[in-house]
Formats: sequence, C-alpha cells, structure tokens
Amino acid sequence: MQRLPKIVRILAVISFTAVVVLFAALIVNSFQNSGKPLTSLAPEGPSAESIQQLVIPVTAIAGVIFVLVIGAIIFITWKFRERQDSNPDEFPSQIHGKTTLEIGWTILPALILAGVAVGTVLTIINLNREEPNAIKVQVAGQQWWWEYKYDLNGDGNFDGPEDITTATELVIPAGKPVQVTTTSNDVIHSFWIPGLNGKKDAVPGLYNPLKLQADEPGVFRGQCTEFCGLSHANMRMLVRAVSSSDYDAWVRNQLKDHAADPTNPAAAEGKKVWLSLCAQCHVIKGINDAKMKETPPPLVAGVAPDLTHFMTRGTFAGSIFNLYQPVSSDGQPLPMSDVAAAGDPGAVLTGGPVNTATVNRVTLEAWLRNAPALKPMYPQGGRGMPNLNLTEEQIDQLVAFLETLN
Amino acid sequence: MALTEDRPLALPSGDSDDGYTPTGVFRRPTAETGPRSWFTTVDHKKIGIMYGAAAIFFFIIGGVEALLIRMQLWSPRGTLLSANLYNQVYTMHGTTMVFLVVMPIGAAFANYLIPLQIGARDVAFPRINAFSFWAFLAGGVFLNSSWFLGGGADGGWFMYAPNSGVIFSPTNGIDFWNLGLIITGIASLTGAVNLIVTVLNMRAPGMTLMRMPIFTWMALVSQFLLLFAIPVLTSAQVLLMLDRLFDANFFNVAKGANPLLWEHLFWIFGHPEVYLMILPAFGLVSEILPTFARKPIFGYPFIVFSGIAIGFMGWGVWAHHMFVSGIGPISVTAFSLTTMFIAVPTGVKILNWTATMWGGKLNFSAPMLFSIGLVTMFTIGGLSGVMHSVAPMDTQQTDTYFIVAHFHYVLFGGAFFGFMAGFYFYWPKAFGYMLNESIGKANFWLMLLGFNLTFAPMHVLGLQGMSRRIYTYDAGYGFEFWNKVATIGAFTLAISIAMFIFNIFYSKSKAKNLPPVGPDPWDSRTIEWMTPSPTPAYNFDPIPTVTRVDDFWYRKYGETKDGKLVRIASTAEVAQQRTDGKGIHLPSPSYWPIVLAFGLPIVAYGLIFSLWLALIGGIVVLAAIYGWVMEPPDDPDAAHDDHGSEAHASDGGDATVPVSADVVKEVETVG
Repeated sequence: MQRLPKIVRILAVISFTAVVVLFAALIVNSFQNSGKPLTSLAPEGPSAESIQQLVIPVTAIAGVIFVLVIGAIIFITWKFRERQDSNPDEFPSQIHGKTTLEIGWTILPALILAGVAVGTVLTIINLNREEPNAIKVQVAGQQWWWEYKYDLNGDGNFDGPEDITTATELVIPAGKPVQVTTTSNDVIHSFWIPGLNGKKDAVPGLYNPLKLQADEPGVFRGQCTEFCGLSHANMRMLVRAVSSSDYDAWVRNQLKDHAADPTNPAAAEGKKVWLSLCAQCHVIKGINDAKMKETPPPLVAGVAPDLTHFMTRGTFAGSIFNLYQPVSSDGQPLPMSDVAAAGDPGAVLTGGPVNTATVNRVTLEAWLRNAPALKPMYPQGGRGMPNLNLTEEQIDQLVAFLETLN
Repeated sequence: MALTEDRPLALPSGDSDDGYTPTGVFRRPTAETGPRSWFTTVDHKKIGIMYGAAAIFFFIIGGVEALLIRMQLWSPRGTLLSANLYNQVYTMHGTTMVFLVVMPIGAAFANYLIPLQIGARDVAFPRINAFSFWAFLAGGVFLNSSWFLGGGADGGWFMYAPNSGVIFSPTNGIDFWNLGLIITGIASLTGAVNLIVTVLNMRAPGMTLMRMPIFTWMALVSQFLLLFAIPVLTSAQVLLMLDRLFDANFFNVAKGANPLLWEHLFWIFGHPEVYLMILPAFGLVSEILPTFARKPIFGYPFIVFSGIAIGFMGWGVWAHHMFVSGIGPISVTAFSLTTMFIAVPTGVKILNWTATMWGGKLNFSAPMLFSIGLVTMFTIGGLSGVMHSVAPMDTQQTDTYFIVAHFHYVLFGGAFFGFMAGFYFYWPKAFGYMLNESIGKANFWLMLLGFNLTFAPMHVLGLQGMSRRIYTYDAGYGFEFWNKVATIGAFTLAISIAMFIFNIFYSKSKAKNLPPVGPDPWDSRTIEWMTPSPTPAYNFDPIPTVTRVDDFWYRKYGETKDGKLVRIASTAEVAQQRTDGKGIHLPSPSYWPIVLAFGLPIVAYGLIFSLWLALIGGIVVLAAIYGWVMEPPDDPDAAHDDHGSEAHASDGGDATVPVSADVVKEVETVG
C-alpha cells in the first residue's frame, strides 16, 4: 500500500477532528436555549411539554444507535485496515452472510421501533384530546399576517357582535387551554408557536385544530412555516399570555368600538387621511365596519388587519416590527435593542392611555412612508399594503390618529 | 420493435433496398467519432456518459444557487438577494438538484452499468434510450431558460397549490417548472421502461436474477419506482398546467377545490422519489465495499430483499410529509407507523455494509472512502428520519432547517457520496484512465468536512426554530453563528467539488505518461470488469456465461471449504482482450431521438407564449415520430458481417445456451 502525501494525511486529520468537534459543539449548543425565542427545545405549555417527553427518549435512542454504528465503523476501519506490510496474496476469510445474525438485526430495530410507536400513538391521542372549556379562537393566515377571531359566547360563530377580531398578536390567559382552529384566506400557511405546541397548517377551506396553553404569562414568538410566497420570511406571530384578570380586561376593551372623534387636531386630520386612503382595506369598528361588509377590500385575501385597537399590540406588520420601544423603569424610552425582543404595550394592552414617547415612531413612519420597501409585498396584485405616497404631514397626522387607537 | 415489422426489417441485412424509399426516410448516420457520433449515438455507454456530463453541468448551476442561498443567509437581514429572487433561487436549487442532478446521475450509472453488469451489448431499446437522454436534457435546458425569460419558478420544488396558481405567481416561472418537469418526466418514464425490459430480458446466459450484481438490483427497483411514481407527478402537473394556462379550477379553492389534492399527489410521487434517488447509490457502495474489503458482500439476499422492501414500503409513507396539514389523527398515526418501520430494511442495509467490512482487509482507496462516507453520513440522515417519523416530534421539526439537514444527509451524504464513490470507482472503466488517488482522498476529506460544516448545524438551527424557505432572519433569534458556519461549509464543499473537476483534467493529462489502465484496476468482482477499459462499443466479445454472484471474481479466485481464497487465474487470463468487434452486430445510430426530444420544448414554449409555436413543435414531434418509425433498421452500406456473429458471440461452452443467441438478435432487431 502506497503512502499518502503528507498534506493529504494532515487534511484527513484536520477534517476528522473538525467534524468530531463540530458534532460535540452542536450537541452542547442544543441544550442552550435561552435567548432563542423560537426554540422548540424549551417547552412552556402542556402540549409542547408532552412532545418534549417524546423528543428526549427518541433522541437518546437515536443518539445511542448513532454512537454504536459510527463507533463500530470507526473501530472496524481501524482494526481491519490493510497494513503496510501485509502480504497482497493473503485474503481475509470469505464470509457470505449469517442468516441468524441477519434475522436478529432485522427484528431488533423493529422491536425498538415498536416501543417508540407506543409512545408516539399515546402522544398523538393526548395532543388531540379535546378541552371542553377551552377558549375558541379561529386563526386565519393570509399573505403575510395572521388574523384572530375569538368566539367569546361559544355559539360557534366567530363574527358575532360579542366576538373579537384582532390581528398579529394572539392574547390568551396563562394556564387556560385555548382551542385554535387554523384556516387561510389565500394560500397555505402554517401556524407555529414552538414554545407552546407543534405547528398546524392553515389551509384555505379547511379548519384544523390545534391546542395552545401557556403555563405562565409571557410572550411566545412564532413564525409561519409553510412557504406562502414573497414575504413568507416576514410572516411572524406572537402569543401574549397574560393573567386571567388582564385577559378579562383586554377582552372588555377589545369589545369596545372606536370612541368619539379625536380631540387632538393632528389626530383629527389623521382620521380624515385614514378615511380617504386606509379605510378601503382596514377596518376600525365604529367607523367603517358596516361599510366594509358591503364593499369588501380589493384584496385577494379579502381582509386587512383590523386596526380598532391597534395600539394594544406590541408589534405590527406581521409582527416583524416593534410598535413600542423598550422603556426604562421610569417610562423613558431606551435605545432599540435587537428586534427579537418584542415590543411591550404595557397598560395599553387593557385599554390604558398611550404614552406617545414610547411609541416606535421611526419604524411606524417609515412603514407609512413606503410599506413595500420594509416588507416585500405585491400590492399591484391585491396582496399586501401599497406605497400610498403620503406627505410627511399626512404621515404625522396618521401617526397621531393611530396613537388614539387603544 | 413491433412498429417496424414492415419491409425494412424483413431484409436480410446487407441487402440493398433500391425500390423502397418512403418520403422523409433517411439513411442512418454512421459517424463513430467526433461530435456527430455523440448526437446520434444509441450506445448506452455514450448515453450514460452524456447523462453524467449533463448532470454535472446542472450540478454546477444548482451549486451556484446553493452558494447564493448561503451567502444571503450569512448574516441577519442579508441583502444579496431580494425576497423574490431568493424564492426563485431556492426553488430552482431544489428542482435542479433533484431532477437534473441526482436523478440523472443515477440514470448515468444505470445506463452505463446495467448492460455491462448483466452481460448485454446494449439496452433493449437503444433509440428510446437516446431519446430519454435528449428529452431529459431538453427539459433541463428548457427549465433553466426561465432565468432569461421572466424569472425562475418561485413556489418551492414541492409547488404547493394554491400558491402555484396564476394569482399568486403571475410570472411564467412556474409554467417553465411545470412543463420542463413534464418533459424530464417523459424521459424518466421511457428510461425506466427501457431499463426494466433490459434487466428482465437481456441478461447473459446463466445470469439469474439472484446472480445479478447489487447495483443492477437496486437500479432495477429504482426504475420500478420511477415507472409508477412519475405518472403521478405528471398527472398533477397536467392539472396544474390546465389551471395556469387554460383557466381550469383543479386547485381553485374559491371553486371548491381542496388544496390537499396537490399535496397528496405530489408526495405519492415525492416519497418514492426519495428512495429511487438513493437506491442507485446504495447499489454502488454495495459493489465498492466488497471490492476494497476483499470479501463478498455480507448477506446478498438480505441486501437485495431489503432494497425491494424499501421499494414497496416507499409507497405507504407519503403522508408523513403532511403530518401538520390537517389530515386528521388517524391518518397521522397510520403514516407515522409505516414511516417508522421503513427504517428496518434501511437499517439492515447499513448493518450489512458494516458486516461486509468486518474481518476484511480494507484498502482505503478514494471510492472506498466515499462509500464509508455514505454509510456513516446516511446513518445520520436515517436516524433523523426516524426522529420525525414520530409525528408529534415532526410537528415541531417539519418545515424547519432540521428537515433541510435531514434530507441533505440523505441526498448529499447518502446519494451524492455514493455517486462520488461510483465516479472514482468506474472512471477507469469508462474513460481508460484512473483519477489521481491522492487528490481523490483529499477530495473526500474536504467534502466530508464541508458537508458536515454546512448541514450538521442546520439540525440545531431547525430545532431552535429557524424556519425553511425564509430569505431573511432577524438578529436576536440565535441563528447567526450556525448560519455563518454553514456558509463557510458550503464554500468548503464548493472547493471539494472543484477539486474533483480539477482531478478529472489533471489525471487525464498525466495519464498519457502512464501505462494504459487494464480491464480490472481494482481487482473487482463483477463481470463489467472483464471488458477492456474503456469499454469497447460491443461491451463483451464473447458474452460471458455467468455461474454465480460475483462471477468475475470467481474466475480469478477459488474458495476452499473453510472460506480461504486462492488465486486460480490471473486477471489477464480471464479478462477479455480488445477485439475489432467484427461480426458483432450493434444497433445503428439515429437522428430521430434528438429531433423528437427537442420538439418537446418547442411545444412547451408554445404553450407558454403562443399556441402557434406549439403547433410547430407538434409538427416537429410528429415528423420525428414518422421518421423514427419508418427509419430503416440499418445502414445498408455499413460493413458488418452476417449473422455468423452468433457463434462468435459466445465462447466455447456457451454456444449451446440459446439465450446468448437471443441476446444478439434482440439488439439487432431493435435497431
């Protein structure tokens, strides 16, 4: 056997070592899930926890098999390598097979898998068990944001006067089960809050069930996971789990229509701008909801985000931008950190007044100035928000008006 | 064959046919070298080589697309590609790699090796074979021409409805995707029929099914999968074509369509597709591991039957791609269980390969290294596959980078490593010179490193929430570090591919000063290694009679009762000498396969841009079919012997075996 050039041997050693180090680093890293808001490995609700109880043993079994097989191959390639000084006319003993061994390693994996199968079936049953007292929410995906409709009175209708329609952020009470039904108004999307449960596709014409429950109050990020066209990457969502009392207060506020005309003159002007331009697609209950039922928006999905209580959300534009800046303990805005830290509406969530100093005006104005520049959309085809060519004055007025929508 | 029962075929060859020249019937081309010989060839070896060359060409395109993806994802909010362009690039990357790289490389090996491994002179339908290749090439070029005609398809390689509809994708990209893949589908289908018939009917005397080399077995299973899977995809694509081009409503939800129809059809094709892509590579390593372990494959029947089992079970698992699509808990449970248990035959293969190496005398040549690479890397892909067969786990993992990692471990770490092993192993057989071993080994180690750097981090990225098919991600999600590692890995991988291409040219230039490579440079086992390298057009002279598995090996070596091997003949004694091939009747080249194949994209352009053009394309197709059908079976002037070749085609003891003569006749009459 001819010796390899030294450089090839060095490359082999580097490559082998690097791969081993890489695998070790990845295994260690998969245990480090803090600061990773979309991780599926840190469950914070019962559904996600029951999946995790399957993930751990199955991954462990896979890991053991991996180590055994790869270890065996490395051992074999070392032990049975052709030696430098071996006699080329000497051959290893010729074994063609061994039926008992073959049958053994056909049956053994089948038995291991049968064990995994039992756990799998039990978990599927558990995940699909209905919660009789769950809050019922219909989640509809459309390019490229999510709409949430709450059936508060439990009549099976999500559009009644006692029901809530909102967008972008799903507000739920912590510790209580929420029965979500996913559907879509255009293409297939997928609703995924990794901290709370696995994902479920939102398919137009279908109504798919998904249970969500958060153990503790908190913010749980999500990302659309079925490719849905141009801005699939920018179609995110957020679940805001709050205390039961906050949830009740939030519901009471959401049920209110838009109040009387704004007193601030800029906001009053902004309302006029809103009526002439935005009201074609967006709804504010108490202003144009009746008209909108007669002339639906000129959009493929037939709907744009409901803005009635816009300021109660911490994020906007498919949950990719923060509506609020981080604030210090005395209410002063702090510099924007990374966008993964979700904006916090604070007391506005339950209808409190908006502290305009904390609003993320820079991004909100940029959005109004030219929305498709911030998030790729296809307004010419009725999919997404167009550039409305607003003047700076109109933008200021609109922001002032939007700030009244608590 | 049956189509040409009319006069021309009845002629004893060599007779002239002055009185009979129907309109538009041309003499058959005769060039044996030069570019024209390649355009008109029906030689399975030349066609195999062209499949490989075209696939590597498309691999470079798909690879550049992959590098664009990785550069875009190098950092949060990448700006190299727009959302629109990224969606096109990732769609075309997936489509190219599946349909224009992995499938045709499998076809390249199947075309080149199957006739050689079963001891035939060519495939059953040589002109159809040429047509399959040209139609594949035409479809691939057509598909990629979309880049210059308004942009590539942007719906993902899975092209889910209704996002693939005109409303959501108004450019022509998806039409190119759809029609291009219908054309390559025709190519795959005709190729599958051809190779199945070849394997079942044209084996050398004594080559029973259970004596066939494992590559041929795996390629056969893979062709059966193609035969049944491609029509499902084509049907779905015809529906989509009618929707997009003729305002039909198969996938129009507003008119009551259920978008899951497309998902079911696509994955009924799509999952067998995965197995038909991997099985040829499994076949290759099943040839290579025993060669370099110096002992026979462990459990030949188990390897064969596990391959067949994968082929059957592969049909019952498709909905595991749809666990979260809303098919209901009963379906989810059923497909979860079937998917789990398909791991059993796959595991059997891994363990048999490992057992083949056990106790061997392992020579770590480049093909052997790549084969071991397949066994290890595929094990990782297989295990992650079992992990998401567990449906509740899959609801967290599907459509994340975990899946991207999984199938790249299967298709790159599995199929492509196997193909690399096959390239290094069969290069001397096909081209008559060895690829440089040192560069080959460096190639392996660099590819192993680049591959793992690229795809291993994607497991963790996916589990920690990075969604697939996103053109951008934000800072603060913890995705930055591993994305950088993956991008570095992708470029390492690109360098290793460049190293392979460099090796081809470098080794060729060095080969001039080296002694010619013999028929059997690796001391191999199966009968293709009996032929001189590069294999002559006639393959075997004479056709060997096969008496057992690894027939060629046992012409060189005998085995004592206690499993000891003794050499009984030198390679030179049992390998075949290059002859002038006189008296061996081979199918004649033909113009018509390439004409027919290139009529198809004209029809397709016509469907997109103007139905008049489709009419012209249709005329080309019809004219080509007419020319094909009426083509005389042979060039009357070609100098070939009469059918005395039958005796010639079989060595002494074989003359009594009638199959041998049939094989010769078969090739002749097919034309």
